[in-house]
Amino acid sequence: MSSKNAVYKLVNKLEDLKVLEKDKKGRLIPRSIAAPVKMLGTVEAGFPSPAEEELVDTLSLDNLLIQNPEATFLLKVSGDSMSEAGILPGDMVLVDKGETPKSGDIVIAEVDGEWTMKYLKKRGESVVLIPANPKYQPIRPKKELKIAGVVTAVLRKYR
Amino acid sequence: MSNQPLTIRSWPRAILHLDADAFFASCEQAIHPELKGKPVITGKERGIVAAASYEAKARGVQRGMSLYEVKKVCPDVVIVPSDYETYSLFSVRMFGILRRFSPDVEEYSIDEAFVDLTGLRRSFHGPYGMIAGNMQETVERELDITVSVGVSLSKVLAKIGSKHNKPHGLTLIPGRDIHLYLEKLPIEKVWGIGPNTAAFLGKFGITTALQFARKDEGFISKHLSKPYREIWDELNGRSVYPVTVESKSSYQSISKTKTFTPPSGDKTFVFAQLSKNLENACIKARRYKLAATKLILFVRTQEFRDSGVELKLSRPSAYPSDLFGPLQKGFDHIYQSNCSYRQTGVVLGDLLSDNNVQYTLFDDTARIEKMSRVYSTLDMLSEKFGKYAVHHATSLPTKLQTQHEGERGDVPQRTKDLFKGENKRQRLGLPVLHIKV
Repeated sequence: MSSKNAVYKLVNKLEDLKVLEKDKKGRLIPRSIAAPVKMLGTVEAGFPSPAEEELVDTLSLDNLLIQNPEATFLLKVSGDSMSEAGILPGDMVLVDKGETPKSGDIVIAEVDGEWTMKYLKKRGESVVLIPANPKYQPIRPKKELKIAGVVTAVLRKYR
Repeated sequence: MSNQPLTIRSWPRAILHLDADAFFASCEQAIHPELKGKPVITGKERGIVAAASYEAKARGVQRGMSLYEVKKVCPDVVIVPSDYETYSLFSVRMFGILRRFSPDVEEYSIDEAFVDLTGLRRSFHGPYGMIAGNMQETVERELDITVSVGVSLSKVLAKIGSKHNKPHGLTLIPGRDIHLYLEKLPIEKVWGIGPNTAAFLGKFGITTALQFARKDEGFISKHLSKPYREIWDELNGRSVYPVTVESKSSYQSISKTKTFTPPSGDKTFVFAQLSKNLENACIKARRYKLAATKLILFVRTQEFRDSGVELKLSRPSAYPSDLFGPLQKGFDHIYQSNCSYRQTGVVLGDLLSDNNVQYTLFDDTARIEKMSRVYSTLDMLSEKFGKYAVHHATSLPTKLQTQHEGERGDVPQRTKDLFKGENKRQRLGLPVLHIKV
């Protein structure tokens, strides 16, 4: 529509069809285009479902257990050297290769050619690997210590 | 002239190519740390080398060698069955790590990726070499495999970079150095140049990538078609091929093949193998919402002779029950009763998106509708209970014989050593470290 006149004519037509109404100052008031709809009784609206709003901020078990999805591996435990830390033979542990091992972490490490799972304890320059079972002795690496990852969780399924 | 750079602009674009070193074998060494430093090959179930670790390659082992030959050249080799589930998990993680650095990651193959780094120097406060180094270091630390990386102005050049120094290489080729890398590179080593093109270029005295890159535009447009002109542009540091970001969401064709030992001459059994190939291919086609208009089937005899047949389908479909008719017809055509077969395969070709499928006047739409309901239920069952929870009876005879008998029947440790709650078909989606602690 390139002219005011074209708009004026159209508006008049719509006014005739009762789609629009003009007030005293000539401002347009829209009326309904559609035919009126019959009401089919009313519906009680209770509290809105809690699902969406309240559950937005929950964690899945995956998110809780796995901080670093690209660097987390499974490992099946066979020994009992960490039994007092609650890790038993047959348990699964999650091992994170992306984390930097800190003193106090449980780590999977290769010490002088042997693989082991122990508490890592750093005292200044020296490093000791400490078992959680009195049957075993702490290990002090003689030549080489390679840490393959940090244990971030243990899983045990009962049924 | 020969010392003149091809371009003086250092980094108009920065494209990284990452190529995992001996990927399958490296994955095995990562989950079996006792195999590090040892010659390892995968492919036990196929009877040939699928991948060889660098230690094995150094001893003369090559891809495709028979295991018998391998044991001769390298008696202390460790041979493991392929564990594609683990390799796929590593692959997905590798792409995931790359995406921490740039959103523009192209999954080129299971062990290769292109990444567009252009413009990222600002957010990482450092040069492209540093970003590439960080990417390489992160992949290597978190996945415990090594990767080779090339960074340059185009995909073709980045690929030259990643190949330049393998394994664990990091090669940067800025614009002013391109010519130094192309000078000694045989033309047939360039991505996209095949032996025929190399021979053709040889007729003009072009044997190195640099000689090709230095040719003028007139020569290129006179003698070569568009794809080679694009390679010529890319070699000159003018990026033509974009890094395509979407993860693989569509296919031109889907193929499924399987080798079985011992070979079999039993017609029902061999057809059952084809039937299973077909069911497999259809599952994949339906997952990507595709329908095939062409069906290719082939069989390979014990003597490695192949025969195959290509069939045009009357209507696009991804439902095995539609395709069993043509499959049977094609199989009857190529099957010979006096032969023993070791491998079968099915290819679904000329795939269309399944919502573009037009029905003809004579199609029984009610039946098609019913079939689509049957198969979507079947797909749901597979999702819940694992692949092949329900399958066609024609595939049943495959269960008469394990995939491979004898030594080749060895399966990956992951499928044997299950956690409570896992089953033969469905396992936790995390790689397992096989370390005894």
